[in-house]
Amino acid sequence: MATYIARRLMLLPLVAFGVTILIFALLQFLHPAIRAGAFITNPNQLKAIDAIIKKYGLDQPVYVQYWTWLREVFHGNLGWSQSVRLPVLDAIIAFFPTTLELTLYAFVPIMIVGVWLGTAAAVHRDKVVDHLSRVFSISFRSLPSFVWGLLILMVFYGRFNWFPPGRLSLEADLFVRSAQFTKYTGLMTADALLNGQLWIFFDALRHLAGPALTLTMVSVALLVRVTRSSMLEALSQDYVRTARAKGLAPAVVNTRHARKNALIPVITLSSLTIVGLLNGVVIIETIFNYPGIGRWGAFAAQQLDIPGVTGFTMFIAALTVLGNLAADIMYAYFDPRIRLQ
Amino acid sequence: MRFMRTLLVLTLVIMLAGVTGVAQGQAVRNPDTLVIATIGDPETLDYSYAYDTASSQVFLWHIYETLIFFNGGSTGTFVPMLATEVPSLANGGISKDGRTYTFKLRDGVKFHDGTPLTAEDVKYSLLRFMFMDRDGGPSELLLTPIVESHGTRDDKGTLRLELFREADNAIKVSGNTISITLKRPFAPFLSIMATWSMAVSKKWAIAQRDWNGTAGDLSRLNNPKKPDDTPLFTKTNGTGPFKLVQWDRSGRQVIMERNDTYWRKPAALKRVIIRVVEDFGARRLMLQQGDADIVSVGRPQKPQVEGLPGVRIIDDLSRLVTHGVFMNMKVDTGAGNPDVGSGRLDGAGIPGDFFADVNVRRGIAQAFDYNTALRDCWGNKATVGNGPIPKGMFGYISTGKWYAYDPAKAAAAFREARGGQVWSTGFRFSILYNTGNTIRECMAGVLKAGVEALNPKFRVDVRSITFPTLLQQYRQGRLPIFIIGWAADFPDADNFVTPFMHSTGVYSNAQGYKSPEVDKLIEEARFETDPGKRRATFAKLQEFAYNDVTTIYYYAVGLQVMRSWVRGWYHNPAFFAEYLYPMFKQ
Repeated sequence: MATYIARRLMLLPLVAFGVTILIFALLQFLHPAIRAGAFITNPNQLKAIDAIIKKYGLDQPVYVQYWTWLREVFHGNLGWSQSVRLPVLDAIIAFFPTTLELTLYAFVPIMIVGVWLGTAAAVHRDKVVDHLSRVFSISFRSLPSFVWGLLILMVFYGRFNWFPPGRLSLEADLFVRSAQFTKYTGLMTADALLNGQLWIFFDALRHLAGPALTLTMVSVALLVRVTRSSMLEALSQDYVRTARAKGLAPAVVNTRHARKNALIPVITLSSLTIVGLLNGVVIIETIFNYPGIGRWGAFAAQQLDIPGVTGFTMFIAALTVLGNLAADIMYAYFDPRIRLQ
Repeated sequence: MRFMRTLLVLTLVIMLAGVTGVAQGQAVRNPDTLVIATIGDPETLDYSYAYDTASSQVFLWHIYETLIFFNGGSTGTFVPMLATEVPSLANGGISKDGRTYTFKLRDGVKFHDGTPLTAEDVKYSLLRFMFMDRDGGPSELLLTPIVESHGTRDDKGTLRLELFREADNAIKVSGNTISITLKRPFAPFLSIMATWSMAVSKKWAIAQRDWNGTAGDLSRLNNPKKPDDTPLFTKTNGTGPFKLVQWDRSGRQVIMERNDTYWRKPAALKRVIIRVVEDFGARRLMLQQGDADIVSVGRPQKPQVEGLPGVRIIDDLSRLVTHGVFMNMKVDTGAGNPDVGSGRLDGAGIPGDFFADVNVRRGIAQAFDYNTALRDCWGNKATVGNGPIPKGMFGYISTGKWYAYDPAKAAAAFREARGGQVWSTGFRFSILYNTGNTIRECMAGVLKAGVEALNPKFRVDVRSITFPTLLQQYRQGRLPIFIIGWAADFPDADNFVTPFMHSTGVYSNAQGYKSPEVDKLIEEARFETDPGKRRATFAKLQEFAYNDVTTIYYYAVGLQVMRSWVRGWYHNPAFFAEYLYPMFKQ
């Protein structure tokens, strides 16, 4: 097991190398003056394009630029993210906990609703609940997430003022910045509880609700479908028929016997869902003005902030590798028939 | 099952309930805090590095103050700010030869850290501004009048120390008076001082490990590579009515609080928050709910905020921005330029010097349906100019001629171009604008329709490219016609005629426009302090703008959207953003 994990972890630098090479290869297609755009904030600076290209070495061959960048990385410097005026590493440290928090708050409802709906659909196969779950999950999935995001914002903020955009309301935000509040984890709800500030906790929750609901709506479909088919398979197994023949209550058969086994692929899927969510936040965070890593990534790409995009991509790639590894490990753990080699 | 049904019903109810309702009769939200939801992050809070509206929005006149300030809504008259008097020939503040400006500093002005403002601080601040001189920075604005140089480095990039000695001698301190001697009389100097003479505490800056004020330390100050290479990147210490609390770069907001030891009556607002909210949908809802007091609204988005209860829309604000439809007289038609077709005058393209023929340019200027463009693209919120100088600014010639939409005259001009060849063979080229700018897209469409209607052999394409790509194509001179704007660095006509008409100007240079007479006139106007003579020179320049017609000029009016409980706001075209000091909520 340990060697398996070690071997998989060794993949990390290779993957990072791969994605950075890919990004720098894409740089080939961008003219230096296009990239100089990242440093020009108003048309009155047009005269300075050449000086800017020279200053940042944007006209050097791409392998030279890659080498310069790589050398800096080995010195622990991931570069400067011009789009947010922060060093890349600081940007990751600042944005990631925010996104992680949102992901967790979306993940829990996704798992609960997904498994619950998937099970119900399988148990009541071809009945109304099955059809409805399909209609809902597919319609949630088939509209782009930004449409749902805007709709939720308009209804739950514009109409009812329940779920405002941003991360905290004004008073809470000012309080969190004051000396009375200590930041332990970077997860606002956790920090609020640790500081014993319930009102901050609920304020943060209100702000999390909109984006988390949107994420849940667009991501739950896959889990419903996987749970349903896995459950159907389990329900048709001999041991389930045996259990039923023994006269056990249907609810007990469904939850204890069938669902337990049906959940194995679901558990695997769950770690990938987290990775998927981390990617999915790009648009949702922008719409809800939620200051997470996804908003940064999208913004950096728009601004042609190459070090920012590179850092963001590397980080997401690393998370994906780790997520896959976690899935493999959990798979082996929950299903003793599987051994990691 | 029951759950699903409830959910379905609930969703339908919510959707039917409509989404534009607003809580009526709202009380003032956060009465002592002003929240501004904007679209761009500041690049830096270092006043010597910043050259973007978002940065100036934070510190200019709120944190850092200038020697003199604009008088109410006027751009041409001034009131004292850190100085006790606006220098003039009459009060002896401007020397008889028009070269030396003397400012006596106000007593009792303190920086935010409590240290008093001295003339030495002002000198340090001005020198620091000039000699930071980062590539693409604003330093040139002071270097030009004081040492008559566009930069502080030679062609090899070596720092020119003799310039520093010159500047050091030109700015003299005596007690609480500071005098600045220019190389030559420079007419727009007071306008520049009203915007760019920000004062920082010298002692404090040095304590932050910033430039120590000597020539020996200049290399550390000059041309920093990144905004965070300057110690004042996120720190400020000015004399203004607001102090910086925090610039939260990851949270994308700036928090300022009232300076209670301000030299005037402290501001009414206790706190100001400038927050970046990129998505217009969110900004609009924040305005509707009162979570934001002032939001950025683009012209095409205006209908979406009209009719919101408790929201005030102020339109038709004059702005110091000239937009242009620029014709390029030396297009690079080299390999693969998709915007010049074949690159020859064969009916399927244009040669590089196509627009060098003034008849072509006059044809374009008269094929453009001005009224339709202003009505359909701008909702009549723009006017056509007769040169680069915007209406309302000194130097604008109201009697100056300009072209009208006249297909017959346009056709006549095209018939004359290149001995009739243009008319008989036809052409094809593109008009370019930056992606997402629907107004420019519309303008380009109107021009296309006008030109193509003249002759079936005339073909014009409209193409959008991203702003960075526009920069690239512009730099390489590959754009036949492009649409872009210019925002004033300071409110003086010189800042308009130079970029648009001088051979070294940002736009004229890219268009290949070079006229020694025009250059001479612009420089005359720059150094002329007699308003009458100056105006006469601008009138001559206007004639050149008309006769040479390298560009079609237009000016748009601005739009301000805020909650109606915001009071004390007023407009001056020279402001980059709201002037916060007199504002309050009620």
